[in-house]
Amino acid sequence: MRLFRMPPQIVRLVLLTVGIVTSYLIARFFLTPPSFGQYGFYRADALEEIASRQPVFAGRQSCDKNCHAKALETIAKGDHKTVSCESCHGNCHDHVEDRQVKVITHVTCTRCHEADPARSPFIKQIESKKHYSGERCTECHVPHQPSEVP
Amino acid sequence: MNKPASRRHVLTSLGSALAGVLSFSAARTAKAAVQNVLVSTPAPNRYRAAEHRWLMAIDIDRCIGCGLCAEACKTENQVPVGAYFRTWIERYIIKRPEPGSVQLRGDTVVDSPNGGMNGFPPSPVPREQILKAFYVPKLCNLCEHSPCSQACPVGATFDSPDGAVLVDPHYCIGCGFCIQACPYGCRFFNPLTKTADKCSLCYHRITRGLRPACVEVCPTEARIFGDLKNPVENDPLQQFVMKNKVQTLKPHLGTEPRVLYAGMDKEVR
Repeated sequence: MRLFRMPPQIVRLVLLTVGIVTSYLIARFFLTPPSFGQYGFYRADALEEIASRQPVFAGRQSCDKNCHAKALETIAKGDHKTVSCESCHGNCHDHVEDRQVKVITHVTCTRCHEADPARSPFIKQIESKKHYSGERCTECHVPHQPSEVP
Repeated sequence: MNKPASRRHVLTSLGSALAGVLSFSAARTAKAAVQNVLVSTPAPNRYRAAEHRWLMAIDIDRCIGCGLCAEACKTENQVPVGAYFRTWIERYIIKRPEPGSVQLRGDTVVDSPNGGMNGFPPSPVPREQILKAFYVPKLCNLCEHSPCSQACPVGATFDSPDGAVLVDPHYCIGCGFCIQACPYGCRFFNPLTKTADKCSLCYHRITRGLRPACVEVCPTEARIFGDLKNPVENDPLQQFVMKNKVQTLKPHLGTEPRVLYAGMDKEVR
């Protein structure tokens, strides 16, 4: 004997809810990546995926003493010792992979040395129009050893 | 035997059937197959995130605004042309106060043409009106309590154990909540990948033992980069903190940014 009979619309609602929760649980079981939650609320495999991209800039250690001993020695003594090879010579990745590929130097001296009120005084600055009317900075300055005059 | 099945009976059988299906080994095989299709896992490298803690520091006095960092960052990370920057340089020009005004400093003019990646044009303010001016490089502030990771609804952006705040491009749905959440404006919507994008500290470089591209090309060592868990002899970060008075950007927001700035003025936001 039943004291209480559940109304049919409630039964349908309960069944629908159970169905939705069940399908959610099944979907979650199948779709949650295995590494999700290993470190936190994210996919731990993403770390490796992001790290797997290939670097573009070769880095200073690629320009080693076997190839550029003289240039490295000169630059280490002068004011430009903090300047990396790729700062001025640009991305050298292709050149490191294949020595035949020429490096195209595109950064000019004035990019850093043009007079600018926002530039700290520690860096030597010139007003290029007043400084020299000739063609190239390298006529008087050695970029690898700025204090030296050729 | 024709007795109608009771609700209890139906529910119990449903529940046990579900439990049986889920624990069944065939389900596990099927799960692995589904995940193989949906989730790609490239070859692992030997990098262990828990053994590192990366940090960048900025010496504003040493920044000369050449913009090589912003240019290199675009090349290194294939950031599309246009107003999309993972790192950029701002020029702050503080004018002299108006004569007669009881002020020590006048208005501040901030500009960053093309993120500074082509260098800066001559100052828009005549030299005689300038009280002082300086450049400030900006990047992801590597917050301890990063609002961007908290805003992400799908777990696509996260604070990795080594201190980098990264975006999982396979999980990002491009909703843009994180872009609004970042108080430093360090995030953007990448129109090529259709996901949120940001400075990853050149994660693909630092995990290989290389320095981030911006640090690599900075000619004046204005950007100092290091690993707090593996300090080297005369560690540049330790030297930097020792020699300078350091600050962080917008500390009042409680995001606990980790990127340190030295020589910062009160106008910097």
